[in-house]
Amino acid sequence: MTDDPIGRLLQATATHDRDAFRHLYAETSPKLSGVLHRILGNRTEVDDAMQEIYVRVWQRAAQYRPERGAGLSWLIAVARNHALDRLRARPERQGLRQEVARDADGQDPLDRVADSAAGVEDRLVARGEARRVMDCFDELENDRAAAVRGAYIEGMSYLDLSERHGVPLNTMRTWLRRGLIRLRECMDR
Amino acid sequence: MSETIHPDDWPQDDRDDMLAAEYVLGVLPGDERQAAKDRAELDGAFAERIAAWEGRLAILNAAYKDGPVSPETYPRIEADLFPNPVPEPGSPAAAPSARSIWRLWFGGALTAALVALVVTFWPAVQPPLVAHLQGDALAFDASFRAGILEVAQSGPEAEVGHDYELWAIGSDGVPRSLGLLRGDRVEIPTELDEGITLAVSLEPEGGAPDGAPTGPVLMAGPLAYD
Repeated sequence: MTDDPIGRLLQATATHDRDAFRHLYAETSPKLSGVLHRILGNRTEVDDAMQEIYVRVWQRAAQYRPERGAGLSWLIAVARNHALDRLRARPERQGLRQEVARDADGQDPLDRVADSAAGVEDRLVARGEARRVMDCFDELENDRAAAVRGAYIEGMSYLDLSERHGVPLNTMRTWLRRGLIRLRECMDR
Repeated sequence: MSETIHPDDWPQDDRDDMLAAEYVLGVLPGDERQAAKDRAELDGAFAERIAAWEGRLAILNAAYKDGPVSPETYPRIEADLFPNPVPEPGSPAAAPSARSIWRLWFGGALTAALVALVVTFWPAVQPPLVAHLQGDALAFDASFRAGILEVAQSGPEAEVGHDYELWAIGSDGVPRSLGLLRGDRVEIPTELDEGITLAVSLEPEGGAPDGAPTGPVLMAGPLAYD
């Protein structure tokens, strides 16, 4: 992590440097907003979640470990966790994603996930590590990789996934876990 | 490939790792998600599994595009975090400059909004959770409020080549490191609840190497409301 300006801003925020925190917000809030819109799909809730997330970032910046990854990845993990907590706490249908969270044009989100995964590859192809990780996703069967991506990127629950793929919940879980084990074996090789 | 194995039939080690992966993916229903989260707070090994999966799946973050940011959000965050007009010690210069910039941008409307927000978001004054850890010559006073644990030390520093390390132990009995205790006073951002036990052990310099205490436990006591 020799050149990670976001990571450095996070470390400065950990020392209660308010200017660093303001810069951190300016640099990262559009990305975190994108994460929250994708998972929560509700503008009012996104604004509330943004506020709570950055309050948490200020309070917990000291927990960021540069040796474990990029600053932006840490922030996205905080944002995803918060969004998922909100999503699963929703009373309607036990935290299923609302239809409003789906694509406005009615496109199957998983198709778009496949598109955006191509973008992932383009942007990070220079990094050997990224190439290897993408290869591991490519080793998975298509629908299994799509399920992992759909869950991660869109915040789909096991219930969402089992409905989408038309399989019982426990089958879905076994099936996704097998995919995760394959991913782990490939990435840790 | 299509046969179903009940999750309880998986080997324990795989089960833990799959649970960590499922937590990171976000597929768990609310109650299981909360249980995994609670466990990560107290079980360092499980938290490590979560961190490893966050690293493995971080590449998917590139699929997120930028979203719109409301201009009202940042002033709300500042009003939430820094409701007190007196600058915090340690950042006397930063606070006024940040405030003045936002005041320029948003003028009187912001001032009015801030007043309303400070009233709305001013945290209810809650008593801190405290623990008094008393040894023979050494004592630690711990006080937890609003995500920050303050630990004041009285007595000798750890002998050369050693450090005092602070641990939180929840109902599962697995110690989770809260970090090293060096100097008169440390602040640790963390989440703690009533009934969690704090313990201090003597460790090699830099702390226990494997995330679990190795040295003698010098003292321990439960967190309780003052």
